[in-house]
Amino acid sequence: MKITMPPELVALQSFLAIGAVLFGVGLIGFLSRRNMIVMFLSAEMMLQGVSLSLVAWGRYHNDLGGQMLVIFIIAVAACEAAIALALVLMLFERKGNLDIAVWQELRESNQPPFEEEPPESEEAPADWPHLTRSGVLPKSISEKESYRRKV
Amino acid sequence: MISPQAILALGTALAAVGIWWLLPGSSTQRRMLGGVLALMGFGCLGSQVPAVGDWFTKGIFHAIAAATIVAAVATISCRKPVYCAIWFGMTLTGTAGLFLLAGAEFLAVATIVVYAGAILVTFLFVLMLSQPEGHTSYDRRSWEAMLSAFTGAVLVGILTTMIGSAITKADQLPSPFSGDGQGARSDAGQALARPPREGGLKPTLQKPTVSRLGAELFTRYLVAVEATGTLLFAALVGAAVIVSQGRAAMRRPDATREGGTTDAS
Amino acid sequence: MESYIPKLLILIPTLPLLAAVVVAVLGKRVLREQSHWPVALALAGSCLASVLLIFAVQQAQKNHRHEHVVRLWTWAAVEGRGAGSGGQEANTQYPALITKNSVLSTKNSALITKNSVPTTPAFRMDIVLRADSLTAIMLGMVTFISTLVVIYASGYIHGDPGYWRFFAYVALFVFSMTMLVSVSNFVLLYVFWEAVGLCSYLLIGFWFEKPAAAAAGMKAFLVNRVGDFGFALGVFLLWTTFGTLDFHDSKVQTIPAADGHAATTVVHVDPQAVENPEIPGTVEHGIFGHWRLAQEHPFGEGSVVTAICLLLLVGACGKSAQFPLHVWLPDAMEGPSPVSALIHAATMVTAGVYLIARCTPLYAASLYAQEVVSTIGGFTALLAALIALTQTDLKRILAYSTVSQLGFMFLALGTGSQLGVTAGMFHLFTHAFFKALLFLGAGSVMHAMGGVIDLREFGGLRRKMPITHWTFLFGCLALSGIIPFAGFWSKDAILAAVAEKASEAPGSIYGYLSYGAMFTAFLTAFYTFRAYFLAFHGEERIPKEAGHHAHESPAVMTGPLVILAIGALTVGAYFQWTGDFLGHKDHPGFLMQTPSLTALQTEVVAEGSGPSHLTVALISTVVALAGIGLAWLFYIARRDLAESAAKLAKSLGLYTLSHGKFFIDEIDRALIVRPLEALAVLLAQIDRSVIDAVVNAFGAFPRALGATFRPLQGGLVQFYALVMALSVLALLGTLLW
Repeated sequence: MKITMPPELVALQSFLAIGAVLFGVGLIGFLSRRNMIVMFLSAEMMLQGVSLSLVAWGRYHNDLGGQMLVIFIIAVAACEAAIALALVLMLFERKGNLDIAVWQELRESNQPPFEEEPPESEEAPADWPHLTRSGVLPKSISEKESYRRKV
Repeated sequence: MISPQAILALGTALAAVGIWWLLPGSSTQRRMLGGVLALMGFGCLGSQVPAVGDWFTKGIFHAIAAATIVAAVATISCRKPVYCAIWFGMTLTGTAGLFLLAGAEFLAVATIVVYAGAILVTFLFVLMLSQPEGHTSYDRRSWEAMLSAFTGAVLVGILTTMIGSAITKADQLPSPFSGDGQGARSDAGQALARPPREGGLKPTLQKPTVSRLGAELFTRYLVAVEATGTLLFAALVGAAVIVSQGRAAMRRPDATREGGTTDAS
Repeated sequence: MESYIPKLLILIPTLPLLAAVVVAVLGKRVLREQSHWPVALALAGSCLASVLLIFAVQQAQKNHRHEHVVRLWTWAAVEGRGAGSGGQEANTQYPALITKNSVLSTKNSALITKNSVPTTPAFRMDIVLRADSLTAIMLGMVTFISTLVVIYASGYIHGDPGYWRFFAYVALFVFSMTMLVSVSNFVLLYVFWEAVGLCSYLLIGFWFEKPAAAAAGMKAFLVNRVGDFGFALGVFLLWTTFGTLDFHDSKVQTIPAADGHAATTVVHVDPQAVENPEIPGTVEHGIFGHWRLAQEHPFGEGSVVTAICLLLLVGACGKSAQFPLHVWLPDAMEGPSPVSALIHAATMVTAGVYLIARCTPLYAASLYAQEVVSTIGGFTALLAALIALTQTDLKRILAYSTVSQLGFMFLALGTGSQLGVTAGMFHLFTHAFFKALLFLGAGSVMHAMGGVIDLREFGGLRRKMPITHWTFLFGCLALSGIIPFAGFWSKDAILAAVAEKASEAPGSIYGYLSYGAMFTAFLTAFYTFRAYFLAFHGEERIPKEAGHHAHESPAVMTGPLVILAIGALTVGAYFQWTGDFLGHKDHPGFLMQTPSLTALQTEVVAEGSGPSHLTVALISTVVALAGIGLAWLFYIARRDLAESAAKLAKSLGLYTLSHGKFFIDEIDRALIVRPLEALAVLLAQIDRSVIDAVVNAFGAFPRALGATFRPLQGGLVQFYALVMALSVLALLGTLLW
């Protein structure tokens, strides 16, 4: 069915939709990424989504309250970034990496920690040139090969 | 014709699968396919999002929205955190553009200046400090990628559906303040039922926004501004304390590094 | 003089209590090595007061006042239904109380109501002290011996880190013991009965670092528990049967409210006030009160009295180390020697004898209780003497001899005649002197030998330690019953009393007991002098533990020995001469002035000391001399004879039996401890497998529930976030629906 909507509602709807998408994408990032900094970026992205919604509502109501709230969101995000990044830095210095899965001490004492199998090599092995064999077979060439791609 | 709900559902599903495959941990082929699928999914969603104005304004809006969303998806799917941060900068720029379109010039500038200029740069600094050696094992893996992707996508789907239905319902309300509870099904509907404050929607707000914003900020919201200032100050001190005391604790002999080694290249 | 009695009676226990408190508070930091001073002074004061008390009581008896009761304060009071009302009302309610309180006495209640004037049903317990001949004699003996022992101990314990502790305990013990013999109520008696047991436990375990001492303390405490349990049951039975636990009569006078004054209750305990008909009030008739003793059948005729007597006897057996509860006393020798002398020879162990002497009217009312008392006493005396024959630990020999002599006292008390009871108390008195002397002498030897007390390790000490030697010899002669030493007179009286009872009731158990006692007297002389010869004669042997200590003890230790030796020589003859215990033909003697004993007087006074007495004395002397002679033959003249005798006894298994103490500890272990342990194991198993299983089942349910949800707390932040997001989705979904 075709609905005719006033333009202000249309504008509101479109901005809200984009805000929702930003929020959702940020949520996905926060849930799935393991790097603490990227998780943090995702959280900021969720804030952006919310900010967008607020501005849209403010515009719809012709009210500056929405924008005002966004200003405060930015300020609080700045505080949050300062504290959180300091914490991230300290956590990094403790354990030497940014993996959130390293920090699982608050689990129930008799529960096994969450551990993942080592990552499978996500790149296809490089296609090294195959030389014609001659003379003696070099020893442990396969080992060297397997190391080489990391070099 | 396919109903908008169906298109929305299809878009949600496509976006979910796309993001799932895009997230770190998949093979390159799958990631490419995921990118395509995500584009299609968001395209489906976008096709249901109306825009207002002439074709130029519509075009601008769609272009900025598309760029923002693409940048957002890229932010969460890049394997190198630095790229993530840069893509996030792109997202912020897109958001700033949208702010501009929504008539919030000051916020657009503030987002660029504060977020992209300050916060993002801080992020980059921390990244440089903590991870100079490039991508690591945990950046190449995701935690429950499928479940997270579907959770997020379903959330987006639900939110979009709600927005659409609520607005439609609000539009059909006989009177904003009828109070018979007929159409007041959700809060969103009620909020929408409130008429705009002064004389309906203008493409841009009447007075120059920044001066009005400033006036409001330092009259009505003065206390909040002061409180926020205090909060900023406390956060500054807190950050300094955390870092310095953490370092002091690290220097103590008993505080040994437990577990976790850096992934050397 | 008579008016001082209450003051003296209060003073005697108060002084040791004060000393105990002073030493306990100041001993560790302030008094340190001077801790004996307050105790010695207090005990000397008590001793003086006791002597004055004896004279005062004697004086009062000339005015025909035999009983003095002092009421200090009310300890506990329970309002009964008829409390404070007139005697008439109480009269009607008393049988109801009896039937309500007692199952055992329901049959007897009619009898009791018929026989006794009822008392106020309220339960009121006063702190009451009494003075009569029995109490006065006990007080004098206890305070005198304890004073000497404290003086001795100040030399013996010298240098011990627990010096002050020792004297605090001893003072506490003397307080408890003086209270024990002077209270006038069964509950208070029980309280101080337990208090002396506690002091005994503390002092046996004085060297608690020594595992044997700690174990001995525990054993003494546990074995005494068995006895005390019987005692407590006896007290309960007394209460349910007679409705009072006081020894004395008392009168509750209610003074009605007068102008401005509230109604007050006055309790009269003075016998004259109680019997004064001008003073109105409800009379409570105590168990050994004047009124009840004047009845023809003061305690009814049922078997309840026998039950009470036997239960009290169980308590007496525990405290006085009679078979089968005697096992704790030899082990108690792990305590310091002065403790052995004071508590485990002279005073505390005689508490059981005192109890039975005090309860003589009760035992007289019972049919069989006296035979049981005598039999247990006679059997214990013989058994302990047999065990003492082969022991090698000097103090253990003395301990078994104490058990044996206490058995003699029980034997005498069980005859129930005037001669028997007085002889028992007489023996208690003389025994305190010579047994304390022997223990202190053994302590002196132990002191010199560096803690070694095994007779195989040392010998021939008579030149090294002349004073100890002579005083010990005096003690041995007294214990063996050689004229004119103290033991002769009292033991002779006991033997005479038993012989008399045997001739009175031919065919009864007393005949056998008489022969057994005579044989025991022979054994006593033998083992006593065996110990004496082994320790002081023969070639001089000194263990290496002695070091440079092997010399005579200091004067502070030999002084009390000499005093006690003089006592061991003279007290028997002196009191035989004065007749304070046994009485003369024309005068029943000081002890018989005790109100509860006067009932015996009329029966026996006519017989007195007849010709049989002389025969008994002659036989006992011959027997004792034979014992000494045999010991001399075996251990001085012909050592080879002793060895061949021992070989013969060994081949018959008698030696093993005696040396193994008739294996009573082992029998106890097999018959009582093991089954109890097995039961405990069984119960523990039931507890674990049945009761715990039920409880664990209750616990397992929430545990299983928790285990189901526990994985939710995985510790991974993203999981929590995911759950949160899914919950939001669920909320939104329901909203959208």
